[in-house]
Amino acid sequence: MYQQIAMYATVFFVFLLGLAFAFVYGESKRSGEYSTIQEKGYKIRKFYFLGLIAIMAFATVMTLGRLPYDSNQAEAEGLNETKAVKVTGVQYAWEMSEETFKAGDKVQFDVTASDVTHGFGLYNENMELVAQTQAMPGYTNTVYYTFKEPGTYQILCLEYCSAGHHVMVKEIVVEPEGGASDE
Amino acid sequence: MNEAIHPLAKKTVVWHLAVTSLVLILMMIFGVIMLMNQGEMISITPQWFYKIMTAHGTGMVGIAALGGTAILWYFLSKYIKLNPAILIVNFVLFLTGVTMVLIAIFVFDFSDGWTFLYPLPAQSAKMYGAAGAVFFLSGMLVLGIGFLILYMYLAARLTAVYGGLGKALGWDIIFRGKKGYGPPAAVVATAMVIITNSTALLAGATVLAASLVNIINPAVTMDPLLAKHLTYAFGHIFANCTIYMAVIAVYEVLSEYTKRPWKANKVFLIAWNCSTLFTLMIYTHHLLMDFAVPKWMLIIGQVFSYANGLPVMVVTAYGALMIVYRSRMKWDFASSLFFLSMFGWVAGAIPAIIDATIVVNHVMHNTKWVPGHFHTYMGMGVVAMIIGFMYYFNKTEGNQQHRGIDTFTIALYFSFFTGFVGSFLYAGGISAPRRWAEHLPQWVLSDQVGAISGIFIVVAAIIFSARFFSGLRSVGTNVHYQKKSAAG
Ligand SMILES: [Cu+2]
Repeated sequence: MYQQIAMYATVFFVFLLGLAFAFVYGESKRSGEYSTIQEKGYKIRKFYFLGLIAIMAFATVMTLGRLPYDSNQAEAEGLNETKAVKVTGVQYAWEMSEETFKAGDKVQFDVTASDVTHGFGLYNENMELVAQTQAMPGYTNTVYYTFKEPGTYQILCLEYCSAGHHVMVKEIVVEPEGGASDE
Repeated sequence: MNEAIHPLAKKTVVWHLAVTSLVLILMMIFGVIMLMNQGEMISITPQWFYKIMTAHGTGMVGIAALGGTAILWYFLSKYIKLNPAILIVNFVLFLTGVTMVLIAIFVFDFSDGWTFLYPLPAQSAKMYGAAGAVFFLSGMLVLGIGFLILYMYLAARLTAVYGGLGKALGWDIIFRGKKGYGPPAAVVATAMVIITNSTALLAGATVLAASLVNIINPAVTMDPLLAKHLTYAFGHIFANCTIYMAVIAVYEVLSEYTKRPWKANKVFLIAWNCSTLFTLMIYTHHLLMDFAVPKWMLIIGQVFSYANGLPVMVVTAYGALMIVYRSRMKWDFASSLFFLSMFGWVAGAIPAIIDATIVVNHVMHNTKWVPGHFHTYMGMGVVAMIIGFMYYFNKTEGNQQHRGIDTFTIALYFSFFTGFVGSFLYAGGISAPRRWAEHLPQWVLSDQVGAISGIFIVVAAIIFSARFFSGLRSVGTNVHYQKKSAAG
């Protein structure tokens, strides 16, 4: 979801920016008194500045309540208990204390690394990145995710960790809710 | 106020620009090779991919800094007498550092990325031998020392002429209510870069030295999170500062072309002081996925990354629009590139600011979204400023003329650059990871679009460079002539 918002917002704002530059380019062929332009320009700038501040303040308030650092991010709708899973990144594999999950599972990934820094990137079945944290030696970063859909998820390494970086992938299976898999 | 650039410094500036344009082309070719490999158009081994990636990242930031330095020195010389020896020392140390980095990568197979996250170099040293890591880290150190010497010297000169870095940043106007305008924009920008980049270089020197000690004696270790802070305080600030050096050309040249002064009024000075402070703080948005960092620090990372966009968007880019508006300015190579570079800078800041939002970063960090945004403001911002300056230099110091081919090349460069960064941002939007030698089938199309756009960008860069080198001949014969205005 955030990926789409980011793409549309970028296209929208860059388009507006392009319009502003195109407009000024068009007007550059005419001449005008600079002091008058400045006076008017500074007035418009005040509104533009306040507008930008308002957009940024709005985005800040809207997003800071949903930080991925707390367990409430893993929405509490799953019936199952929070499962703590220990994840360790090592050149070039992911070691996990548990590897199969059920839809509805609320999982707490405690992520660390045993050699160099790696990146824990959780992808859903559509290869959409859904959760991420760093895997750093000497530290444990906890990231929460609630598996809503069953399917094959993958963990990709998202921090460059030398020549096997791109083979550092692990598949995990999330079975349908209620136990028995129909696969 | 009306100094002339020392002839020796002018010659050194030419060397800076010549090296910049050649390295730029080579690094672009490296970039295209990586994209073609990801796009399955060619096939290289992952080891080679990561070596090229390390060279590309280090080289691009390095030459952006070199080109930026040439701009800074050239325009600052108009206001302050500068000793060309320092610029030459910087250049020699730069070349020495770069040579060491290249030896590390291509002779000793160093491929730990230009971010060289501790303890990765030590780990690689165990596997591939210590020479690569040692050469790379010490090369970076030598390069950093060259810049540090330059900034210390410039700090001393600004202090002698303007009475301190604070005054150069207009503090007596902001805080003491002094009336009138501050120092020239070139001086304000230089003061900002001295403060931020010296901090960056000290952070870099610390982590480089500690990594070197760790490789030589593994018993001496460092905290990986602290090391990452230092690495990004170094890398992020240093990369940011390339644009704060290069933008001096925009202030100088656009006001010359439009015959409208770009004076350092109070708002301008406040904006540059904010940039100074924010540039020092916002590297933390690279650590938003390091949950071990205190939460307040991460929130600061988001809030100030937003805020750092404001001085650029509200004062600098807006100022460029205002100065050009109804100015009857002559559109030639230099003015077009400087105008477009302001667009590129802001256009790159937009996805950057979006990515600095923690919830967005949570799913887009280290995807191709990130190189997407910095390629926008590096390629369409900093590099456009440097190329614009190359032409301006040849025109002012020599007698280069704008030709039809220049208009064509500018159009070629910017349209394909839009396609190029668009392909990166799109790939980030579909979760394609950053720095992967090989890609899944669903990501390949975006790589191919990027690679093909990249090829045309290389063509444009080659034409730009050919025009620069051919223009230099007239500079050679005109060196002793009176400097004339490029706007005339
Ligand atoms: Cu990795």
